[in-house]
Amino acid sequence: MAVTTTPLTETGHPQDPVSIYEKHRTDLQRAKLGQNILFLLLFFGMLIFSIVTSQFYPERLAQAASRVFEYFGTIMPNLQWDLLFEGRDEQGRAVEGSLTFWYTDLDKYLSLIWETILMAITATLLGTAGALALCFAGSRNLMKNSWIYFFARRFMEICRGVPEILIALIFVFAFGIGPLAGILAVAIHTAGALGKLFAEVNENVSRRPIDGIRGVGGNWFEQMRYGVLPQVLPNFVSYGLLRFEINVRASSIIGFVGAGGIGQELNRVISFYSDDRVLAVLVLVVITVTLIDLLSERLRLYFIGKEQL
Amino acid sequence: MAPVRTLSALTEADIAATRSANPDAFGNSRKSLLIYAAWASVFVYLAFAFIYFDFGRIFEPSENAQRLLRAMFRWEDMETWQYANIYRGIAETLAMAFLGTFLASLVALVVGFLAARNIVRFGLFRHTVRRILDVFRGIDQLVWALVFVRAVGLGPLAGVLAIFISDIGTLSKLYSEAIENIDRKQVEGIRSTGAGPVRTIRFGILPQVLPVFLSQSLYFLESNTRSATSLGIVGAGGIGMIIIERFRATLYDQVVFVVINVLILVAIIDWVSKKIRMKFIGEVGE
Repeated sequence: MAVTTTPLTETGHPQDPVSIYEKHRTDLQRAKLGQNILFLLLFFGMLIFSIVTSQFYPERLAQAASRVFEYFGTIMPNLQWDLLFEGRDEQGRAVEGSLTFWYTDLDKYLSLIWETILMAITATLLGTAGALALCFAGSRNLMKNSWIYFFARRFMEICRGVPEILIALIFVFAFGIGPLAGILAVAIHTAGALGKLFAEVNENVSRRPIDGIRGVGGNWFEQMRYGVLPQVLPNFVSYGLLRFEINVRASSIIGFVGAGGIGQELNRVISFYSDDRVLAVLVLVVITVTLIDLLSERLRLYFIGKEQL
Repeated sequence: MAPVRTLSALTEADIAATRSANPDAFGNSRKSLLIYAAWASVFVYLAFAFIYFDFGRIFEPSENAQRLLRAMFRWEDMETWQYANIYRGIAETLAMAFLGTFLASLVALVVGFLAARNIVRFGLFRHTVRRILDVFRGIDQLVWALVFVRAVGLGPLAGVLAIFISDIGTLSKLYSEAIENIDRKQVEGIRSTGAGPVRTIRFGILPQVLPVFLSQSLYFLESNTRSATSLGIVGAGGIGMIIIERFRATLYDQVVFVVINVLILVAIIDWVSKKIRMKFIGEVGE
């Protein structure tokens, strides 16, 4: 930081405080000026590069905007107030303008959403198991062998670094279309992401229980099981539930590449139709995700609350 | 209970008495039953899931899968790979993430204030803004991408729009929370000098929240670079489109190469944004 020299007046008194302050301020600003200009140049260079690369030009944008609005117009359902709760008629046909007409395929959607939730549960369980297996080896304070530590860390990084949907694509290719590929992809991502969080929790545990277990002759696994796990379990459960919420979202979109769940249907209706079916599925997905979030939040609070008692 | 002198002097009655005096020290049978029941239900569920989702298929991978696995470790004809194409895709991904995050941050700067309780006193308006943000956030980025691909066609523009829309939802929420957590004193100080609402925001609020905003936008730039890869897989431009194109052409070694490059790019952005945060924010912003 620049030090301001304040020249004295002839009588030996300092100049008036306002001018001293202003001088100090300009000095500080000048010191930072060069750096700020550099950052601004970099920033605008980046911005121009981005605009050119993605062809984000006004005329294209205007065209795109009108098409987006047009599209959103076409996926709106045609609902009429007076017919809204009209059931099916004698021939089993729904009346146009009613909710039943909009959600003709409700049964199919619901069974797919059920499948999505089961996928999320299975993936969360498997992923948490994987994370549990990895997290102790990936904690600095618990794993003395730096090679195992290094590989555990890198392995978790790769698991969470590669996009879920790409892993799903590979598994669809290897094991065929269906929820299995989605489950495995989400589980692998979960193992990487939760493993990192678990390892961070592990790094903050108290050493005393571990030393105690070692003192009575416990091996490494016993130290982890009886020394570390009781300390970290509440946190693990909370993180696991949080991950479950994320996995419900992930499972609902992983079907885009054919890996099961509601995403497969969502992809189908978006790609092949542009009518109210798109919005029907979207609304269901959003409602499901919101409900699961609320439910899991209550469960989390319950678990945390219990621990504090 | 009589004092025990040696261990062999313990009678069955003594043990029973000690047990009943300290019920919790020897394990609560109801609690342990509950734990066993929980574990049992997890295993029953997993067994059900393994059958329901046909996990047996893992052990009979197709011919292609073995070829894929081989190609991951053996790279062939590396001189014929179109590197220019690959790196243009990576640049496109970075551009999408940057532009999307930047535009979303600009919008969130305004919307964040509109959704903050201590700025907009009028509840109905604030709640309307928040519910709209919830919708933006509730629909996944990938779904937005699919919708925009359908609306504006294949290419990076759809990706930018998808990142833009979904980030408006998340960033505005985070920004408004930052605004709600400011220190009132500074705002009152500015207001007491007779400043109007615009100046109060500029000198009272912005200096407090700008570091937090910058830090959050940088985090989003990083996470968007990651997710922009997935956006390409549904057709929204960038490296993802190259990945899926190579994948369809069964050039798996190139897919692995591209993915490694993306991981490196993300690591670089992570590092740069950490530096920028340190530079501008120091220890303040998380």
